[in-house]
Amino acid sequence: MKPAPFSFVAPESLDEVVEALARHGDDARILAGGQSLVPLMNLRLARPEVLVSINRCRELDYIAVSDDRLVVGALVRQIDAETDPLVAAECPLLAQALPYVGLPATRNRGTVCGSLAHCDPLAELPAVALALEAELVLTSAAGERRVPAHDFLVAEMTTSIDEGEVLSAVAFKRQDPSEQSALAEVSNGGHVFPVGGVALRWASEEGVCVMARIAAFGVGSVAQRLTDAEAALVGSDLGPAAIAAAVAAARSAVDPTGDIAADADYRRHLVGVLVERGLLEGAAP
Amino acid sequence: MSGDPQGAVGQGAVGQGAVAQGTVGQGAVGRGAVGQSVLRREDDYLLRGQGRFVDDLPAPLNTLHLAFVLSPYAHARILSIDVSEARALDGVVDVLTGTDLAAMVKPIAAQIELPGYSFNTRDVLAIDEVRFAGEAVAVVVAESAYLAEDGVELVDVDYEPLPALTEIGEATDPDAPQVNPTVPGNVYYEGRFATEGVDAGFEAAAHVISEDFHSSRVTAVPIEPRGCLAVPEHAGNLVFYSSTQIHHLLRTALAEFLDVAESTLRVVVPDVGGGFGIKAALYPEEFVCAALALRLRRPVKWIQDRYEALLTDVHARDNHYRVQAAVDDDGIVLALKAEIRTNGGAYSALPFGCTLETTGGARMIVGPYRITEYTYTATAVATHTAPVLAYRGVAQPVCFMAIEGIMDRIARRLELDPAEVRLRNMVPTAELPWTNIVGVRYDTGSFVESLEQAMEMANYDEFRARQEAQGRLVDGKYRGIGICTFTEVSGTGAPGWRARGLTRLPGFDSGTIKVEPTGKVTAFVSHAHSGQGHFTTFAQVVADELGARLEDVTVVEGDTAAGPYGTNTFASRSAVTGGGALIRASEKARLKLARLAAAMLESTPEDIVVAGGQLHVAGVPSRALSFGEVAETAYAMNTFDLPEGESFGIEETDFYDPPLVTMANATHIAQVAVDAGDGTVDIEGYTVVHDCGRVINPMIVDGQVMGGVAQGIGEALMEEFVYDADGQVRTATLADYLLPSSVDVPNFQIAHIESPSIDAVGGFKGVGEGGLIGAVPSIVNAVADALFDLGVNVNTKPLRPALLSRLIREA
Amino acid sequence: MTDEYEVTVTVNGRNRASRVEARRLLADFLRHDLGLTGTHIGCEQGVCGACTVLLDGRTARSCLHFAVAVDGSDIRTVEDLADLDELHPIQEMFHQKHALQCGFCTPGFLLTAVELLESTPDPDEATIREALMNNVCRCTGYANIVDAVAEAAVQLRQGRQP
Repeated sequence: MKPAPFSFVAPESLDEVVEALARHGDDARILAGGQSLVPLMNLRLARPEVLVSINRCRELDYIAVSDDRLVVGALVRQIDAETDPLVAAECPLLAQALPYVGLPATRNRGTVCGSLAHCDPLAELPAVALALEAELVLTSAAGERRVPAHDFLVAEMTTSIDEGEVLSAVAFKRQDPSEQSALAEVSNGGHVFPVGGVALRWASEEGVCVMARIAAFGVGSVAQRLTDAEAALVGSDLGPAAIAAAVAAARSAVDPTGDIAADADYRRHLVGVLVERGLLEGAAP
Repeated sequence: MSGDPQGAVGQGAVGQGAVAQGTVGQGAVGRGAVGQSVLRREDDYLLRGQGRFVDDLPAPLNTLHLAFVLSPYAHARILSIDVSEARALDGVVDVLTGTDLAAMVKPIAAQIELPGYSFNTRDVLAIDEVRFAGEAVAVVVAESAYLAEDGVELVDVDYEPLPALTEIGEATDPDAPQVNPTVPGNVYYEGRFATEGVDAGFEAAAHVISEDFHSSRVTAVPIEPRGCLAVPEHAGNLVFYSSTQIHHLLRTALAEFLDVAESTLRVVVPDVGGGFGIKAALYPEEFVCAALALRLRRPVKWIQDRYEALLTDVHARDNHYRVQAAVDDDGIVLALKAEIRTNGGAYSALPFGCTLETTGGARMIVGPYRITEYTYTATAVATHTAPVLAYRGVAQPVCFMAIEGIMDRIARRLELDPAEVRLRNMVPTAELPWTNIVGVRYDTGSFVESLEQAMEMANYDEFRARQEAQGRLVDGKYRGIGICTFTEVSGTGAPGWRARGLTRLPGFDSGTIKVEPTGKVTAFVSHAHSGQGHFTTFAQVVADELGARLEDVTVVEGDTAAGPYGTNTFASRSAVTGGGALIRASEKARLKLARLAAAMLESTPEDIVVAGGQLHVAGVPSRALSFGEVAETAYAMNTFDLPEGESFGIEETDFYDPPLVTMANATHIAQVAVDAGDGTVDIEGYTVVHDCGRVINPMIVDGQVMGGVAQGIGEALMEEFVYDADGQVRTATLADYLLPSSVDVPNFQIAHIESPSIDAVGGFKGVGEGGLIGAVPSIVNAVADALFDLGVNVNTKPLRPALLSRLIREA
Repeated sequence: MTDEYEVTVTVNGRNRASRVEARRLLADFLRHDLGLTGTHIGCEQGVCGACTVLLDGRTARSCLHFAVAVDGSDIRTVEDLADLDELHPIQEMFHQKHALQCGFCTPGFLLTAVELLESTPDPDEATIREALMNNVCRCTGYANIVDAVAEAAVQLRQGRQP
């Protein structure tokens, strides 16, 4: 299919982007990589009146460390984040997750922020944002606000981005070098979307788990932190009993629905399998 | 294997009263192209991006573009259609509805002559009622594809949704709505067959093994969507380019349903980006496109998008099989009962009809086994789903999933190895030719040999020994091995189609050999390629049979204006029917060359040897003429008079209708690992031993096998076309309808046995479908074997992680 | 709404300027405006990869980009790989290894292979298979494509010029 007609602007600065959004309001959509938006436009399931491309905003193409945060600008392509040494050093979980996102050609063009703004329930990055306690930077004519990931991610394809706002950056919490992390997911084979997955990071001191963050995707309408599973790990030796407790907690924390890809029971079962797998594989040297 | 081309020649000539090498004037000496992995002529321009698929053709500048308005409902009454807003849009030329088209195109219908078949028709655009989600109700004609789609959005259709049927089981409920007015009780067809001794067989049986098998609906998904371009010419003539596999059948149908003279139509098949059977259907869009080009007197083009492709291409395999085998204590099948129900969809699609899978499964399920008592009932039902027709393998992936599943269940019951049960029941090569219980003759084959060789290649015995020693669950994975030994229907002739009620499906194909004035050779054949490498393989056949140099032979196909009629390309037929026709035509041309050469060399035709593009007097190689020198005489381009009784030119045509069917065979063995935690399946080994008779080009045959296996892996493990209870499509994109990727398909071990057909000219058997046919049963059986210790029943596909995980958890 | 926009891109080394509707997909722009029909359209859903081109040196789905939005980019399509006499080594290996059948998906695979071998001259089979997930082939079963890419890598490492 072919997209419906629209107007196009490509400002060269964030200020101009915000201005364009203010001018066009709800009729406008941001075009970054377009790898989630354009398929919907081709099917005419999305039909913005105005596309505001941020692809000329070089100021949004940055990866930087700021205090305890790794900040990824809105124009950073997934492939660039995947291969960035700063990402590997400061947020290895993000680097671990990115190869699972889409396909090479879509990662070449799709942006980290774009995937978060799209908020697909099967996307990896929202779960990574939860596990990395990310803050989403929303910029509008009124200024800037920072929203924690768990408030940003509202429901399937729904975020707390308001009319006139652009997701200008995401600030992930830097991981401590002693941390371990993993991304585990399962798909039905084929391409593109997994059935479900988990993003995990944790830290131990002298054999005792002192911190755990676990988030799952594909188990509900939006990515979800699994705090009970985290709690089952913290204070434990991460041995089989603790892992079993975390697995059980993860399964009871989720309330998936079935769809054509998998039934609800499987998704619930799977989140446990993947929590265990992530902990074991992430711990492997 | 086919390493020895001379050996292959000797075999290949069987069946046509072959002449010994050097037999003058009749035997093409110096054969050797057939049997070689000749690299493809098609590749260079495709690799350069110069291929010309239908959307790549240069369309005239005034071409109009079509877009169809598709029903969002599976079943609804059309209360009204308001096209005024769409028609008012700039760039929209016209908007037409079903009643408009009915004035131009008759209702289309498959002609099936089976007792009890309910004839039914389809309007090319629905009138009054829609019967599946995606059925077109209107068409927008516009100056560009973009504008046509803008117009589609402005067509306002008022529907009254009605209850929809999607499942086989629902269709025959007494209170089910009737899908099609001429199909009472939603039964298109019910066929029955029984031999006399079935009951006695069951009475005598020590064991009765029963199982229900379910197969999900799938569709072929060639990467090139369908499309067509209709270009009016002088005097109301029309050139019609279509991404089709069946250009002659399409032309006849266009003439019939548009009520125009067939002679004014020319159908041309450009490069086609995969067909796999779904492009061997005749679709409403083709009739609409041709009708509008004639009516509007402008070129009209339609290029399908993927959403439309998934909704409106023919589907396949929504089948239920209930199979019972009466078995003695040795595992010998004494009698077989099959109850087959197939979902035919909302209309009986052209040209093969909704009974294709039904009659196919019923006739093919006996496979390579000595089944002497057999009964079936085979039913095709109507539902509010897309029409069902041919997809690579047709019924065979499912009927062999059933019979091969039964073989494994016999083995489990009797504690025998599954391979042993098969060997005990197979027709041994020494007993061939064998006519099976439904009258199909297996002229040659290698059922036992293919199984034994595949077992050796797959290290089957070692695998079993390891399973015995370590158990099936090792390191969190259940490992299993699965076998499918099967017969593969190919090269079906007219009698074969008649046996399935397809009396209007010809069976034969044609070949014309033209030796040009320069001595170069043009071979016309009534086929159309969609990736099979016909330009290469048919040239190999002609080079050998004519005695020409391979590089001097050019193949032309896919054009109703070039060469005579034929049945075209589907059901693994091109090597058999096209090869056979070209062999016959080549022989005629060769004889004429020999006669002319004899006259020129003052010899006799019997003394002329033809080889390598030269003709010489036997024993005197220096008394030789090139094809070109002889052709000059034929075309009166030298001073030599045409011998008395000869006509000008060297242009010879012949036809070939193969026997009932030409039966290929193969064994596939799959080795799988099922993850105990997440239920995912890895294919850790895959072995194929295939027998398609005389191999024309081993490289291309391997390619056909590997591609088919990949599709079979998709079908066995992931592919499923899903309608919800209301008949809404849940798999309208390729993100939902999953295709296997490079990481889902393993490497393969492939070997060939060559048992040349003694019934079919040339000794060739088909190879197009076997890869897929064998893959589905072997993978399903391998997964079942992996989970054997759990006592779970694997009788369905696709075997997705959620399903296998549930079986494992609930064990 | 049907305003047209200036687009200037470099395609296969040539500067191409045109005016397009905002919604003109890059794939349609290449195919129907520039006549580069080697880039095929298989799904317009971003999945199949038949429309893959190199956009600023990296594979991209030309069905998921608007021509107007890639103004100023450098684009390479399948038509740029071979010269008049010789195929690119990757193309040549596709030929030798029978890595194409219908050929419709092939241009996309070739560009994926170009990207892979430029960044990873000596890939193992798993790496090749991961990279080829970029594209769907319905004909070949992939094995011959994997072989062709592996062999092309050898050829390129041995200095055969693309």
